[in-house]
Amino acid sequence: MDNIVFGIGITALAGALATVAGAAENTESDIGSQGDPNSQVQLAPQMGYLHRIFNKAVAGEPPAWGLWIALGAGISWAFMAMQINPILAIVLGCIVATLVQGVYATTAYLGRTASLAKFGQPVFVDILKSMTTVTMAHAFVAIFTTVTMCHLINSALGHPFPLPLLGLVWGIALGAAGSATGNPFYGKERQYQSQKFGAGVPIAASGNIVRYAEAGERNSLDNGWFTAKLAGPASGVCFGMIVFLEIWRTVLFEPIAAGWGAIVVGIILILIFAVIDRYAEVWARKNYGPYTAPKKEEASE
Amino acid sequence: MTVKVEVIEGGVPHTKIMIGGLIVALVCIYLTYVNQLTGMQGFAFFGGLGAVAAIIWGSHTIKHLCSYGIGTGVPSAGMMAFGSGVIAMLFATKFGVAAPIVAIIIAAIIGAILGYLANNVLSMHIPVMIQSLIEMAIIGALTLMGFSAMISGSFTFNALTSGTVTILGLALPSYQVSLIGGGIIASIFMLGGIAIQHPFNACLGPNWTQDRMLTLAAECGFLSMIAAAIMSLALIDTYAALISLIIAVIGWYYTYVKYLALSKRDAAGWLDSKPIPELEGH
Amino acid sequence: MSAIGAKPAAGGSLDPKAAIIGIIILIIIIALAYVLVGASFAFMALIGIIIGGILIGFGVHFVPVGGAPAAMGQAPGIATGVAMLAAGAGLAGLFGGAWAYAAETPDLVVSVVTGAIGGGLMMAITCFFVTFIYVYGMGIPCASGKVLKDPLTGDTQPEYKSQGTEGHGLPFISWVGGVVGGLFGGAGGTLIYIMLLDVYKGALPGMMDAQAAQILPIAISLAGIFAVGMFLVNAVLAAYNITGTIEGPHDPKFKRFPRDIIASAVASAVCGIVAIMIVAM
Repeated sequence: MDNIVFGIGITALAGALATVAGAAENTESDIGSQGDPNSQVQLAPQMGYLHRIFNKAVAGEPPAWGLWIALGAGISWAFMAMQINPILAIVLGCIVATLVQGVYATTAYLGRTASLAKFGQPVFVDILKSMTTVTMAHAFVAIFTTVTMCHLINSALGHPFPLPLLGLVWGIALGAAGSATGNPFYGKERQYQSQKFGAGVPIAASGNIVRYAEAGERNSLDNGWFTAKLAGPASGVCFGMIVFLEIWRTVLFEPIAAGWGAIVVGIILILIFAVIDRYAEVWARKNYGPYTAPKKEEASE
Repeated sequence: MTVKVEVIEGGVPHTKIMIGGLIVALVCIYLTYVNQLTGMQGFAFFGGLGAVAAIIWGSHTIKHLCSYGIGTGVPSAGMMAFGSGVIAMLFATKFGVAAPIVAIIIAAIIGAILGYLANNVLSMHIPVMIQSLIEMAIIGALTLMGFSAMISGSFTFNALTSGTVTILGLALPSYQVSLIGGGIIASIFMLGGIAIQHPFNACLGPNWTQDRMLTLAAECGFLSMIAAAIMSLALIDTYAALISLIIAVIGWYYTYVKYLALSKRDAAGWLDSKPIPELEGH
Repeated sequence: MSAIGAKPAAGGSLDPKAAIIGIIILIIIIALAYVLVGASFAFMALIGIIIGGILIGFGVHFVPVGGAPAAMGQAPGIATGVAMLAAGAGLAGLFGGAWAYAAETPDLVVSVVTGAIGGGLMMAITCFFVTFIYVYGMGIPCASGKVLKDPLTGDTQPEYKSQGTEGHGLPFISWVGGVVGGLFGGAGGTLIYIMLLDVYKGALPGMMDAQAAQILPIAISLAGIFAVGMFLVNAVLAAYNITGTIEGPHDPKFKRFPRDIIASAVASAVCGIVAIMIVAM
């Protein structure tokens, strides 16, 4: 009994850490314009819209976060192998991983911008200085929480994978969840704020991103402020739920019926999400209505 | 997915970079074998230098391949390289002193088959696909082997799987505290996988220049080497790890400063706290 | 995923000559394995690895991925790269499957199904949040650009497509596709891992002259990193096959999956035989 209570406590803690990680991850990538919205930041100067948006495409979010987390976990593991206290080891490992992230961010911005010289896009040194440090701060939060979560899974819950391998697995999952959830909100809602609300961005408008803020010229900190209100928390809840539900069903229901208990619970969870998803989809169709009158019936394909 | 990539002629030809990268990487990885001959661990840093050479070569191969537009992101090519490379590399470690050569041969076979599958079975029809995937698998294997040799002092299977753990001053043999047993291989996997695709991914655009991209590749290599040197503190003698760390930091600083200078040279402007410049016609 | 422009002009058809050569390579590898290790467990493991690779490659085709245009609400799907999204789901499944297999009495079927459910659950949550952001964050209903009616729900699609776009969000069929992709990916990754783990657990103690318990971390790490490596190889090959983006099982590109099954089988066989030879030689 004690064992199960302990397991549930760790599960809750891991889920909470993952939630923080997801929120920080998405805010970091939105400030850096990493992931898919990056294509518009990259495209804008070619269309004649010079901007002061940070543009650090290290890779897609999943592989990049796979590296930050696996690296943080690997260095933490090395320090722990040197008999350093795990908490100190994790902090030190995550600091090194954050520094690596910061260096990658600067080289990505300089490289992308310098390669756009033909269109007149200059390098803004102040953007480089102020945005990189802010993304590093968010990155540290995300790396530290995820590595801690992996350490808990490994040492307290007894997952067989060593810490760096867990870091790789959950790093890629973190990047995948964060980029899937948060990117559209940044890409559509923020970059194309000037476009009609409640509709996708017409392909013809590509590259015409919003470049001016309430006062002065917009930079990526304004974007971080904006996306932190929905995209960040939503990514956090998404990743937190993935981690929590995955561990929860294993810890609590694994012993039932030689493992089939956890499987049945997993299937039920998937079905619940199917119902919620369908509800949201139908709700949107009813409330937002069709953009054009349905004239397909008489068209009779 | 709208950035047009143009094939840019000029600069050092690809074959030259390939041959240079291959030879330097191979020689450097073999120099770590001096550790075995002398019983010291001070030569471990050569493994890192070999990995840097392989990464520089790899960044140019990715440029070569991705100029054709492979339909999916540049990073996936790096993942492919290391996914196939890690298998070849770990298999090769079984062959003792011949390991680097075996790694190249096995990686070339795997890469050739993957290239054939992508090009013919999946009908991609990219002229450089097969050659590129062969190179990528070899690069992945050599980078992993270089960093492994640097972190654990040797590239043989036994050295990668066994270490010592010191408890209360007693040194005990342990399989858990080793490059593979501890899973450090996963960290190197991602370190190399990102370092190899980043230079081209970061420098793509109409004003791509070869020297800037290759400098960035060296910078990424040395940056990865710094991280690897810190991890090696756990597995090899402290003095050897410190030699690696110092060499990596010096190499990183030199290439980073050079990269900043080259970016300044290529950029349209280098402005500090200035508004967006006015373009004619807008 | 940050990516570069021009799409290759890869056609949708299967090249019969190349396919036959692929199958011949596959048969040669299997025959080679049989000659080298005989009808032992290692040989069965190779077959398991090939099946796992096929599951991964097939599963990737279900995952609805829109790439960069999806992030602007210009195309339906999830706004990230296909290989990496599949890897995220598959590796989350691998996490669950490996954990289940670490039980006192490990069971192959239970572990593989647990891995499948792990991947499916990850995709179920992720895809739901994509719909959530589109509907409640951006006020955009889901609409497919490739079909007139959702094959599962029968909802009509074109009139919900906003002007100048190819559709947006995840129609229910894409949501189901994502979950099915996660199920296949998780199962495939776990199967590869378990096959390799059993081979290593059996052979490493004799090879390294140590006890089974001591050798366990090595076996787990080796099997884990190989499973990740083969997963990435198969996922990237499948991503090449669909040239980056796909809406889900209703997308015409989905019909390209037969040639990827050949490619995945051959690629897994090549990687698998090398991974097994580490201990079998």
